[in-house]
Amino acid sequence: MAKLDVEITVNGARHKLEVGSQERLLDTLREQLKMTGTKEGCSVGECGACTVIVDDQAVNSCLVLTAQVDGSEIITVEGLESKSGLHPLQKAFIEKQAIQCGFCTPGMLMSALALLNTNPTPTKEEIKTALEGNLCRCTGYQQIIDAVEMAAEEWGV
Amino acid sequence: MVEYQLLRAHSLEEVLEILTEKKKVQILAGGTDLMVDLHQQDPKFENIDYLLDITDVAELKGIKLGPEEGEIGALTTHAELLSSPEIKEKLPFIGAAASSIGSTQIRNRATIGGNLVNAAACADSFSPLIALGAELVLRNKGGARRVLLEDFVEWPNQTVLKDNEVLEKIVFKMPQGEYHSSYQKIGRRNAVSISRLSLTLLAEVENEAIKNIQVVSGAATPAPVPFREVNKYLTAKTFAEIDPAEAGEIAADEMVGITGERWSTPYKRPALSKLVERAVKDLLEEAGYNG
Repeated sequence: MAKLDVEITVNGARHKLEVGSQERLLDTLREQLKMTGTKEGCSVGECGACTVIVDDQAVNSCLVLTAQVDGSEIITVEGLESKSGLHPLQKAFIEKQAIQCGFCTPGMLMSALALLNTNPTPTKEEIKTALEGNLCRCTGYQQIIDAVEMAAEEWGV
Repeated sequence: MVEYQLLRAHSLEEVLEILTEKKKVQILAGGTDLMVDLHQQDPKFENIDYLLDITDVAELKGIKLGPEEGEIGALTTHAELLSSPEIKEKLPFIGAAASSIGSTQIRNRATIGGNLVNAAACADSFSPLIALGAELVLRNKGGARRVLLEDFVEWPNQTVLKDNEVLEKIVFKMPQGEYHSSYQKIGRRNAVSISRLSLTLLAEVENEAIKNIQVVSGAATPAPVPFREVNKYLTAKTFAEIDPAEAGEIAADEMVGITGERWSTPYKRPALSKLVERAVKDLLEEAGYNG
């Protein structure tokens, strides 16, 4: 089947790519761009491990064809750290021990970032709603919610 | 192995052109149902030669609520519905249904049109829109036809949409005068939850009596339906004449009359009865009746 030409911006860098008609954004990120921070968990939109930000919105990259997001701006977990160091969200996740096995962490960070980008002072309920599509089988969630609250406080200053 | 050619349309005209010229076309919108089937290599894809992505078609997006009539574009996402101040103010039960669907990630992609066309028995968008008496505008290259939403689904996952048609928008009359609504859902958990039962109640009231009412179920019957017997029982009654528990029992009887006794009936019968009772009590309370 014919390949399709797409152009996407990932973490600020433009990529011109040829993608297959069944190629998911998740596949493009991991296989073509070798950005393996984004994880494949359930593959059916339940676990949120593959969450990335597409045009300011958290989406499951397993449920989107790359051809559908032609022209979009995408942020993945690799886009968090900058020259000045770890992102406040990353620091907060470490500080609050919001990570155990770490498999859900990239998706959690992306859902949290999408929230804080649009709502810098979320309530606990708003944090829970933003993270409701992300499963964690280790932490029991409390540390993750604490970390997002901490990041919101520190980042907001 | 599933194989298809992916096409992207950028205007409604282009969508209609492709649907006219090509056969075996499957439309792709938000993809939150279809991509799951695709990943699992569902046999239904064996009959598909083209996958037509319409997510870029601006004409199919947007919410317009006028004083008399309202419309919602088929590609409006659940996230857009629940964050719309207009929906929150005028049709809060539609926002409540949208917020009960999936997760933030799902709601950001999934569309109301996709939810209707996919037509799962548990789909959450039906009951609020049926309560509004909504019609669907189904368009092909030759023109458009309107279908009452409650006549749209023939059987779960099977609708009257023809191969050369696309769902353009949902149109409805705005409720008038004093009205109250409620949307209720029972799932196994709060988020990313498939409805076991859902319910919309929409009532126009006047002088402490019900002028018009629609009680509509979701996930209770193979295709979502208005509970005609309950509606008949409640219409034109004064608040003092209404027994919420009786309304619940009538709805439960009506559901079992449609589905017959099923494995889930011992659960769904009392659950639906209570759901309707609660919705009617909420209505009376919201209308300021202290009985």
